[in-house]
Amino acid sequence: MRRLFLANLLMLLRNRQALFWTLFFPLMFMLIFGLFFGREIASVGTMAVIKQSDTALATSFTDTLSKVESVKTTTEYSTIDAAKEAMRQNEVLAVVVIPAGFGDVTQPNAPTTVTLITDPGNAASNAIFVSIVNSILTQFNYQTTHTQPIFTIDAQSATTHTVTYFDFVMVGILGMAMMNSSIMGLAVAMTTYREDQILKRMTTTPVPSWKFIVAEVLSRLILNFVQISIILAIGIWVFHGHIYGSIWILYIIALLGAIMFQLIGFLIAGLCNTTRAAEGMAQAIAIPMMFLGGVFFPTDSLPKWIAGIVHFLPLEPLLRTLRQVGIDGLSPFTQPQNLAIIGGWIVILLIISSRTFKLHEG
Amino acid sequence: MNAIEVTNLTKEYPHLTAVNNVSFNVAVGEVFGILGENGAGKTTTLEMIEGLRRPTSGEVTVLGHNVRTELGAIKQKIGVQLQSSAYYKYLTVTEILRLFGGFYEKSLPAAQLLKMVGLESKAKSLIGQLSGGQQQRFSIAASLVNDPEIVFLDEPTTGLDPNARRRLWKLITDIKAKGKTIILTTHYLEEAELLADRVAIMDKGKIIVLDQTHKLVEQTKVPFVITAHLPKLAESTQKKLQKLGTLTTRGGKDDWFELGLKTQAKLNTALIEIAALKPDSITVKRATLEDLFIELTGKKLTS
Repeated sequence: MRRLFLANLLMLLRNRQALFWTLFFPLMFMLIFGLFFGREIASVGTMAVIKQSDTALATSFTDTLSKVESVKTTTEYSTIDAAKEAMRQNEVLAVVVIPAGFGDVTQPNAPTTVTLITDPGNAASNAIFVSIVNSILTQFNYQTTHTQPIFTIDAQSATTHTVTYFDFVMVGILGMAMMNSSIMGLAVAMTTYREDQILKRMTTTPVPSWKFIVAEVLSRLILNFVQISIILAIGIWVFHGHIYGSIWILYIIALLGAIMFQLIGFLIAGLCNTTRAAEGMAQAIAIPMMFLGGVFFPTDSLPKWIAGIVHFLPLEPLLRTLRQVGIDGLSPFTQPQNLAIIGGWIVILLIISSRTFKLHEG
Repeated sequence: MNAIEVTNLTKEYPHLTAVNNVSFNVAVGEVFGILGENGAGKTTTLEMIEGLRRPTSGEVTVLGHNVRTELGAIKQKIGVQLQSSAYYKYLTVTEILRLFGGFYEKSLPAAQLLKMVGLESKAKSLIGQLSGGQQQRFSIAASLVNDPEIVFLDEPTTGLDPNARRRLWKLITDIKAKGKTIILTTHYLEEAELLADRVAIMDKGKIIVLDQTHKLVEQTKVPFVITAHLPKLAESTQKKLQKLGTLTTRGGKDDWFELGLKTQAKLNTALIEIAALKPDSITVKRATLEDLFIELTGKKLTS
């Protein structure tokens, strides 16, 4: 079996086109979502700070502003006009001007207002800039008047860490990659092998069918392992995605999902006689799951009856378990029903595919 | 001991009896040809012997092992070449031979196998980089990877040009010379006549005739025809020749004779008689398996 496993691995590496698309397809989604949402919370945009006052309060304001995670600040523009020009060039999204004398307690007529210049075209980010500047100034007002706010908000998140939309999608893409490469890869490879009589040729040798199948599954799991590594590496290092739970448990759950989807691939190969038919059936199974199974948006937003169905399809419980581990940092057994559905699918698919998929018709 | 014993072998499908009560034995070291048109049941018979298909009824033993109960032992001792080149396209021919060699308890080195089939210069080529003839030779090399006692060749020359076919015939003859038993299916009569010691002709799932090639030919209505150019024959000579076979003039010409003969012995006698008359020209036409096939089935064997 070791020889078959190594030979399969070699063939997967030599089939450059298939390898490229297997790895590139999920990366394409990563790039799209990463570019749009990858820095969503880390930075709304850059704000130019024109600091015309050297008082302690002005310095404290700029220091506080620079510590806000969701906005980047720059002091490279010395004049308002230069900053406005930079805004026109989309280099900065807002300009905050701290006027001369701001915070000078020795001057009774010292200015108390900072000016925020924003681009009306960026309504969403403008609201965030206004909110940030306003909250800093409010804090200063309380400190100056030595008062405490009466009504406050206690904003709590279900998780104790920052979770971005990109984190949600990154884990979704991970599950999607397992699904697409396993279903399509297995179904197409096995039907091609049947058409080329490779399966029949195998049955003329003393190699038992199970060894052939296990070698095929294991070699593809190596490819899946590489896929997971690339997706996580690019997601985390390039687009600042977060994985809060055990990365190794995440790998194990993802590979368990890959095995489940490979079994679907064997099932398709058992039902379809030609590669074309297998491709069609694989797409008919994978594409609806890709869009409805919670890869790009939570399934809660689906109509109830669709969500009810999707909940029991193979992809959705896998993604829930992956997010439970990766995003919530919890044990995969926290919601054991998800693992139970995955296990159930594996058992059912194993039984059906072992009856439908034969190396050679007897 | 026979290499293969097939007894009352039958394979039925819901709407078709692919093989119908077939029995035959193959001796050790023999080249046994199974001849028939497409759909005659040749490949199904072969695959039941190889253990690839389960017979509906009947028994098969290969080298003394029952195909139903001792398939593992049989697979170690046989080599199978399929109709097409059924090999991985992303492995080199050497890698394929090493991979397949690893499946058996004993195996021959890849280089030796490639040399045997004249493909040593293609050792690092992928299967798709070989010509049709080279692919067929490679598939035969792969069937020899475990140094088998019996080699199954399923239409090995189908689709090849005459030169490539002749090279393959030479290869099969070489394999026979090594003492291997060969089971060959083909729909080329010339190939069966040339390579096989015995031939079974199959039609509609049944063996309609089985014998040594030369004896099969003698089963035709007129196995031998002598054509000779002679001056008008004396009446006594005519009577002598008419006792041996059917004497006719060719195309209505008095100086061209055709003598149809039923046995080799009568052919020998007739040749001596005619040679004594010192003919200007004498040719002997031997009937072919094609003639027998047409007589038995009423149809031509198309390739």
